[in-house]
Amino acid sequence: MDLESNLGKPTVSIITEYFKDLVEQNAAKKGMPDLRFTFVKSPVWGKTAEQLRRDVVEGTDPITGKPVMQEVVAELTTPLKDDDQKTRTIQQSAGPDHFGPDTAENLQKLFRKKGMTDYLPIVLPTEAKVDQMLKATSHKPDEIVGKISPTPGVYEYWSYTVKQVAVNAVMAGADPQYFPVILAIAAAGKESLSSSDNSFAEAVVINGPIRDEIGLNYGIGALGPFSHANATIGRAYTLLSINAGNCGKIGETYMGVIGNPANYTNIVIAENEKESPWKPFSVRKGFKPEDSVVSIFEGWGVISAKNSVFAVWQKDMNFAQELKNIFNDQDQLFGGVAVLSPAVASYVKQEGYDTVEKLTDWLYKSPDEAKPHFWSPAQINILVTGSSNNLYWDYGGMRYVKSVSIDQWR
Amino acid sequence: MRSRFASLLIVLFFVSLWPCQQAFAREKKKSDPAITVEPKFTVLSPLGIPPTIKLLAMAPRMNTLDGKTIYIVDDGFVGGDVLLKEMAAWFTRNMPNVNAVYRRKAGGFPDEDPPLWAEIKAKGDAVIMGVGH
Repeated sequence: MDLESNLGKPTVSIITEYFKDLVEQNAAKKGMPDLRFTFVKSPVWGKTAEQLRRDVVEGTDPITGKPVMQEVVAELTTPLKDDDQKTRTIQQSAGPDHFGPDTAENLQKLFRKKGMTDYLPIVLPTEAKVDQMLKATSHKPDEIVGKISPTPGVYEYWSYTVKQVAVNAVMAGADPQYFPVILAIAAAGKESLSSSDNSFAEAVVINGPIRDEIGLNYGIGALGPFSHANATIGRAYTLLSINAGNCGKIGETYMGVIGNPANYTNIVIAENEKESPWKPFSVRKGFKPEDSVVSIFEGWGVISAKNSVFAVWQKDMNFAQELKNIFNDQDQLFGGVAVLSPAVASYVKQEGYDTVEKLTDWLYKSPDEAKPHFWSPAQINILVTGSSNNLYWDYGGMRYVKSVSIDQWR
Repeated sequence: MRSRFASLLIVLFFVSLWPCQQAFAREKKKSDPAITVEPKFTVLSPLGIPPTIKLLAMAPRMNTLDGKTIYIVDDGFVGGDVLLKEMAAWFTRNMPNVNAVYRRKAGGFPDEDPPLWAEIKAKGDAVIMGVGH
């Protein structure tokens, strides 16, 4: 659009067919509803030049049925409509500020129909319940907390108030005492549902006294559905992204090819600080141990290390070396994250890594001065949670995004 | 006479029961799920605040591409280079009077490339942008 409006050059964009609704709606919302596209058969990658010449360049637009290149030429030469050269401002509205009165069943259906849920039943956000939630923070209901875009730089940002975050927190089933954590997540301004066709997942790492204050689980099954706080805080993050950030609209702001089950409640990781042999993650990011902090990660998700190293799972297991082997096999885009049980972390410490920094430096370096696999040691993150009843641990490709104080949202 | 009095007593007895019967019927209606009126709720919208849209002007179209320079810009999606070079070759075969110039934009797909934009502004007449994948 900048090529059209700033450089004054007629432009046509080549887009694969499945992105039609996404690009047309996005262009309209960014100010150019008649931006011109030619759609081509998907996928483009993985094909030879000869295949692309035959199937795409000399083929037809699968949406319009017209020959691709003749359409391209037409879009650069067909005169514009009068409105296409006018500039003005349009105020968008998200719709009414309330729904009903209606029965609970009808309202549940309405919220599903409008795409305002994760398709699980919600707690209906009545004024009374939202007011209860709002009492858990000192911030005013109409204060702007932050803004989210389904993919920054590609989509517009939607902003949201403390009250709008509270509505989503109620819908998720969260208790009011969790609200400062949810507000801190909202303040990070990071979408939990990226528009990317990669089907990304988000993780929230929680440190500090808040973990015990609200009953976050960091023992057995720490990453599973075994705590009201873990479950509803994570769910609130997804609902907030869908509703307050306009994310997760299939074909418009969400294109994940496979989807990601972690998107239901995200990956909530309350660190087991008591049993970890190292400093908490938030302290390594500059916060004090008494600070309550949430840190956002994004990437592919996490999976048990047993999936990759089952053949060498033995009594004299070298955990650090296995971790290095796994990381050296991973995509570099998001770096590597390891979620170690306290027992595994203690073994790693005994192997000589008395700080996480020593471990990540060693994991980063390649033997014999070879070029390191990752771009920097900061791409490697180590977290500790779960119980010590066995030597299991998870790993994944997830990068650290940012940390936000929970205390400032109390 | 006695029987009339007895009848009157019976009528009075049932009349006196009337308020109780009404109350019983009301209670029955309340407890019968088939008759109960479902409560209704008013709920708040969870939606955030969309930004205002500033409509932008599109660039005027040309009457013909003959003698014009068209930049074919590849923003880096996998396979886009192969496709877009084939598009440039199509112009060579089918519209030889068009100067089709293939360029790979610097950075990732959402990144700006000011030197390339400056080059297009100075030398280009139109752009084909290879975005999708």
